[in-house]
Amino acid sequence: MSAIVATMRRNRLLPNYMVVLLLLAIIIVAGTLISDRFLTVRNFSFLFQQMVVLGLVSLGQTFTILIGGIDLSIGALAGAITVFVASFLDWRPDLIWVAVPVAMMLGAGIGAINGTLSVFLRVHPLIVTLGMSSVIFGLTLMYRKQPGGSVPIVFEDIAYNNFMGIPITAYALVAAFAIAGVWLQRTGTGRMLYFVGGDEEAARLNGVPVRRVKILAYALAGFCTSLAALFLVAKTGVGDPRIGLPLTLQSITPVIVGGTILAGGRGGVFGTFLGVLLVSILNNLLNFAGVSSYWQWVVQGLIIIIAVGIYRSDRRGG
Amino acid sequence: MNSIRHKTKAVFAAGIAGVLVAGVLAVVPASAQDAGRKGYEGVPRTWLWNPNFNEMVDTAKWKKEGPYTIGFSNASISNAWRVAFQHGILWSAGQNSDQIERFLVTDANDDPAKQISDIQDLISQGVDLLLIAPATEEALDSVVGRAMRQGIPVVMVDRKVSSPENYITFVTASDTVVGRMEAQWMAEYLNGEGDIVMLPGIAGASPAEIRIKANKEVFSKYPGINVLEMQYTDWNPATGKATMAALIQKYGDKIDGVLADSALQGYGAIEAYLDAGYGKGEIPPMTGGDVARMYQLAHEYDVPMMGIDYPTSMGITGVETALDVLNGVPVPSRVEVNMQIVTSPDAETASVKADRYLLDHVSMDDPGDLSPSNGLPEGYNPATFDPEYPK
Repeated sequence: MSAIVATMRRNRLLPNYMVVLLLLAIIIVAGTLISDRFLTVRNFSFLFQQMVVLGLVSLGQTFTILIGGIDLSIGALAGAITVFVASFLDWRPDLIWVAVPVAMMLGAGIGAINGTLSVFLRVHPLIVTLGMSSVIFGLTLMYRKQPGGSVPIVFEDIAYNNFMGIPITAYALVAAFAIAGVWLQRTGTGRMLYFVGGDEEAARLNGVPVRRVKILAYALAGFCTSLAALFLVAKTGVGDPRIGLPLTLQSITPVIVGGTILAGGRGGVFGTFLGVLLVSILNNLLNFAGVSSYWQWVVQGLIIIIAVGIYRSDRRGG
Repeated sequence: MNSIRHKTKAVFAAGIAGVLVAGVLAVVPASAQDAGRKGYEGVPRTWLWNPNFNEMVDTAKWKKEGPYTIGFSNASISNAWRVAFQHGILWSAGQNSDQIERFLVTDANDDPAKQISDIQDLISQGVDLLLIAPATEEALDSVVGRAMRQGIPVVMVDRKVSSPENYITFVTASDTVVGRMEAQWMAEYLNGEGDIVMLPGIAGASPAEIRIKANKEVFSKYPGINVLEMQYTDWNPATGKATMAALIQKYGDKIDGVLADSALQGYGAIEAYLDAGYGKGEIPPMTGGDVARMYQLAHEYDVPMMGIDYPTSMGITGVETALDVLNGVPVPSRVEVNMQIVTSPDAETASVKADRYLLDHVSMDDPGDLSPSNGLPEGYNPATFDPEYPK
């Protein structure tokens, strides 16, 4: 299989995202065959509502992986922000204008601390962010052990309502990815992330402010996490210290599947977007097919392994 | 397995129930009478002893022609209790296949965010009713309320969501009764004096939190009962064992009693004592029902214990209640299934008497993870049970 793919790649028959697109097509065809309710506006509206949280944390994770790092504090941070927002708002709509920017600053700030610690202590980001995750989770639990607090209904509506027939979450998600994509490809600062991830030493010699770029990548990851947490708390209506925990690992899957390599320097947000679509539609399909959620884990795992296998064979071939 | 004593009690209870159902509560609908039917005879005592009138919900506006598509969103099947509970639900769906055309099941792996997606996916598939066992009370409240407002009736089973207006009825057993009985028994068994540890379930899960509150309500009247420490165990035997091992190391023989709210962590706690070198008759009194292994270990090592199963049979009642709603039969706003008190033979106290002793309730040959109050056909074995149901 991978030999065929490699051959196709060498002959430029298979651009990077083709594999994911192919899988997506297969899943959508399968879904259509399984149920006539799969390919409906309602199902896809729900899908965009479901995707937004995973989409935003994966977008954040893309930045850290692009520079050859990783952020394992995403889940704990997302939970902490839901707790902050729900406790702070406590039903009051007039405070939304305070809670939202503070949540964003909190996210970006924690991210920047992650980046700073990793850069200046020269500790692998895996360890720094894992430690940070534990610190955040512990502090959040000190404040609130059980789910609680509440957001006003109008805030919940951003997670569930439509604007001109399309979920608000869909606009948010597409806008976030589009801005990130343009920024990474078209601006000097954005492209520096690729330089740093590709060859840190070369980037340094070429005058790239490596440390600042790294800190920026983690701050962006934290910022995206805060956006995800805002949608998450809108969706559930409460602050829950634990609700984000599965997101840490979940945020990595779409990035890898989307072709961003763990070593950094290659990939991008469009691939991540496709990865998010793939994972979300796949879970939706498996629910439609009545497949146990254990299989959902197995299939997700297999897709990661297959995707990484294909990308690796591509590098050997290329 | 049933002792004569138990049979006499059952006949007596049936007699009382008969009189009450026929006479005083002539208006009680079928679902309420049926609440404890499978496996547990008699009307639930919580229903009989409720000092207030039991509130009924008119379901006429949800009445619909069958056959139905029912969606069941389960929080998880991550422990023995939840497995037996889901078995009951699937089995009952199969028993009612004349009315149920499709029975769709999702499993959220205890992740409330995934469960929100699961519920939306079930709605996408055009379900006539949602039967939901939520991962947490609060996080699912919003999506469940939105389903109801879209015109999909929701029946909660095992756990509920925070806002009562977001569901029609809640099929459960009384966690307050479990919590009170366990604490009352412990306090009386220790003659009102002693240091205990509390091992509740999952932080934030409503059964766990309600039981803790009920425990404390009782202990507030027993100033001599001192709670050394409380540690959540996630209703997980391994966590229960590890937590108890740490507590034994910290307090040793100072612990006069272990108040576990379920046998899931309870038998882990007994195992921790055995590992720490405690032998037959040396383990302090414990509480916790739900799985056979606890009762078996208590028998084998002479642990004074009291258990009150949180019956997995509520899954069966959940499906039946869901069908009542779709048939327009009024249902109680809270459907409680029956519970029985199980104690070691010499461990009854002034206010907590046994309905069954350990070996009336389980046999030593039962699989350890068997939920004794399952309501399923004789010979039910969770490892091999694979019920047919309309998929």
